[in-house]
Amino acid sequence: MTDMAAVNPNVTETDRVRANTSTAVTSEIDRDGRHCVEALAGENRENITRHIDQLDREWDIERILQTNMSVIALGGVLLGATVSRKFLVLPGVVMGFFLQHALQGWCPPVPVFRRMGIRTRKEINREKYALKALRGDLDQPKKS
Amino acid sequence: MGNATIVHVSDPDTVRGRTGPDANDRIDQHAEQRIREAAADSDFDDRLDTLDHEWNFERVIETEAAATGLIGLLLAARFDRRFLVIPGVVASMMLLHALHGCYPLLPLLRRIGIRTQNEIDAERHAIKMLRGDFSRVHDAESERRAEEAWRAVHL
Repeated sequence: MTDMAAVNPNVTETDRVRANTSTAVTSEIDRDGRHCVEALAGENRENITRHIDQLDREWDIERILQTNMSVIALGGVLLGATVSRKFLVLPGVVMGFFLQHALQGWCPPVPVFRRMGIRTRKEINREKYALKALRGDLDQPKKS
Repeated sequence: MGNATIVHVSDPDTVRGRTGPDANDRIDQHAEQRIREAAADSDFDDRLDTLDHEWNFERVIETEAAATGLIGLLLAARFDRRFLVIPGVVASMMLLHALHGCYPLLPLLRRIGIRTQNEIDAERHAIKMLRGDFSRVHDAESERRAEEAWRAVHL
């Protein structure tokens, strides 16, 4: 882990997937989030609330990767059991990478999905709480 | 899974929706307690740092599922192909979880307090609010409010 951190430019990131995403892609994802917040700043409460509901339902990268892994692994196990044992390489490889993803935040499909704009739950919630702040949910209680 | 135990299936946080009300309440009460303590001690930075490193529910089950699946594959390759049932079940359960939120270990993991990222982020932003991170949003000129809000939620 320390070796990886040494070559990784994004070591300050505590979100493992963000830390393993190229700076260019991360900036693009952040820019999209910021633009969304800017666009909604002048809108009424109802529109902000509707967008927050959409964010709550957005598929994050964990959900996408879980679907991806389980479909490939399941197919591999079925083919391995019925056609040829060689197909067992498939679940072996995807589950191995999935374990690496869980521990380190990277596996081969991550860069692909990130370039498609799939966000981590932290990134989605970041936008959500910026909108909640604009809606006035997070105004500091008055100090007495 | 019996419908009687599912109370908030419509919760967009599917894991919370599949958790019994007692376990959800206990998790929420613990968070509230810690927010109170952080407020009393003004101990915001340490608390945020701890939250940033907390293992969320997805990470816990991904690690568990991958490890269990790989062990099953090894057993099938070495001993008996009937062990393929293990990776088969693991992959099916993970698919079910991704689509609907349910998972066989969910009741156990929730009872020992494993939280979703949404729950961690809710506590995180409550503490950020207490630290005053959002104070400039309210006071900002209307055209600068979005900028201040975005700055306040820095990751």
